[in-house]
Amino acid sequence: MTIEFKHVNKSYEKIHALEDISFLIKKGEFVSFIGPSGEGKSTILKIIAGIEKETSGTVIRPEKIGMVFQTIALFPWLNVYENVALGLRSKKIPEKEIHLIVHKYIKMMKLENFVTHRPADLSGGQRQRVGIARALAIDPEVLLLDEPFSALDPKITAELHDDIISIWRNTGKTIVLVSHLIEEAVSMTEKIFLIKGNRLTNTFLIDLPYPRREHGRFMEEVSKIRREFFK
Amino acid sequence: MRRTRRSHHYAYAITAGERLYSIFLGPFFVICVLFLAVKFFSVPSATNVNFSDLLTATSFTLGRLLVAYVIAVILAIPIAILAVKNTFTEKIFLPMFDVLESVPILAFFPILILFFLRINLPNGAAIFILFLSMLWNIVFTIASGLKLIPRDIIYAAEVFGIKGFRYFKEVTLPAIFPEIVTGSILAFAQGWNLIIVAEVLHTYIPGGTNSQDLFGIGSILVRASNQGDTNLFIASIAVMVVVIALFNFFIWQNLIHYSERFKFE
Repeated sequence: MTIEFKHVNKSYEKIHALEDISFLIKKGEFVSFIGPSGEGKSTILKIIAGIEKETSGTVIRPEKIGMVFQTIALFPWLNVYENVALGLRSKKIPEKEIHLIVHKYIKMMKLENFVTHRPADLSGGQRQRVGIARALAIDPEVLLLDEPFSALDPKITAELHDDIISIWRNTGKTIVLVSHLIEEAVSMTEKIFLIKGNRLTNTFLIDLPYPRREHGRFMEEVSKIRREFFK
Repeated sequence: MRRTRRSHHYAYAITAGERLYSIFLGPFFVICVLFLAVKFFSVPSATNVNFSDLLTATSFTLGRLLVAYVIAVILAIPIAILAVKNTFTEKIFLPMFDVLESVPILAFFPILILFFLRINLPNGAAIFILFLSMLWNIVFTIASGLKLIPRDIIYAAEVFGIKGFRYFKEVTLPAIFPEIVTGSILAFAQGWNLIIVAEVLHTYIPGGTNSQDLFGIGSILVRASNQGDTNLFIASIAVMVVVIALFNFFIWQNLIHYSERFKFE
């Protein structure tokens, strides 16, 4: 299932959040939207997630969507297990099966020792791991990442970058990342959409092997995008 | 709660010490204090009221407060949800509630008493006036709690398919739990303030007598004051203070502590 925007506009009363946005994301692609803050990146993600409705234009999007939030958005009164199980409980899945699925993703995100912990007792990195496990547990066709690393320290961010890349490689899921960091987008994604002034201004294809940061052409790609970003 | 109990004893988990303290030691302490008080103290009273009468009266008063409180909470939650549902309802209902809150409820008390006496339910008058005095405190604190739910939490609930009654049960109620506790504390304080008036019905009935008052710590307090029974007056106030303090210590403090886990960072 692909994601497609055709001439999509979004307005809030008199404010234009998106203007004439068109793009196509194929199944299994790992793409990112980058751009200055407040110019429409997150709005695109919310429209894909079905949280916001486009004002005009056509949107084709899959039904099963998992989302990881910038503020992590875990439910503070639920422990790790219950937070991860949140989306599964909406699907009337038997409790035994929920138990297996939740533990699979808790293990994948290295949270086995924190099953009974509540979010307040976890570090920022651990919380975001719970957020990722919660999104993956519903086996989404598309995984949306809304600036998920912006509040984390560089070491944890690097670890989570690696985790997301290996999830993408192992599961073949479509992943859409929103970020304001060019280096992050270049190090992780195959295709980068630059959103400026509420419009899609450029699309960049990144054809570098992983891990990318050590690659000789990494900074060259970053510089190329940076020039357009600040133009 | 079925899911919580059956599959994950660790959801909402509190430590064994906290559990022991709140479930066993709190009530045990109250029972011990009351037992010793009944056993060893009595109040020499000109109005022939002994200490155990005071405790019984306090339990009647507490009963009225609790009934009024439960009704107030049950109604306050949907009223607050409706009030802050969107900017339109907010503009209509919040100013309206402001006006209703400032209406002097005691002005309507004589009419309420006559109505409830006519249907032979004098307790109803006291409970209704207590309920009205509690309602707005809870409505306004819950409304502010609803507005504090982070947008991403609401989005997460939507993305993960939490809708309808499940949204109310698993998102709204836990999210506003700290405000329910705060509102309840304010409401109970308001209730205790009003109990002295609410139980003394005869002052609002033309030609009324003491026999029309409701049996409770509030009416005993007023009667002791009117009859100049200083011992009974002091004892009634002491019992009231002790009950309020115990209520605060064993119920509200525990709930405040427990509500910490429901707060967003």
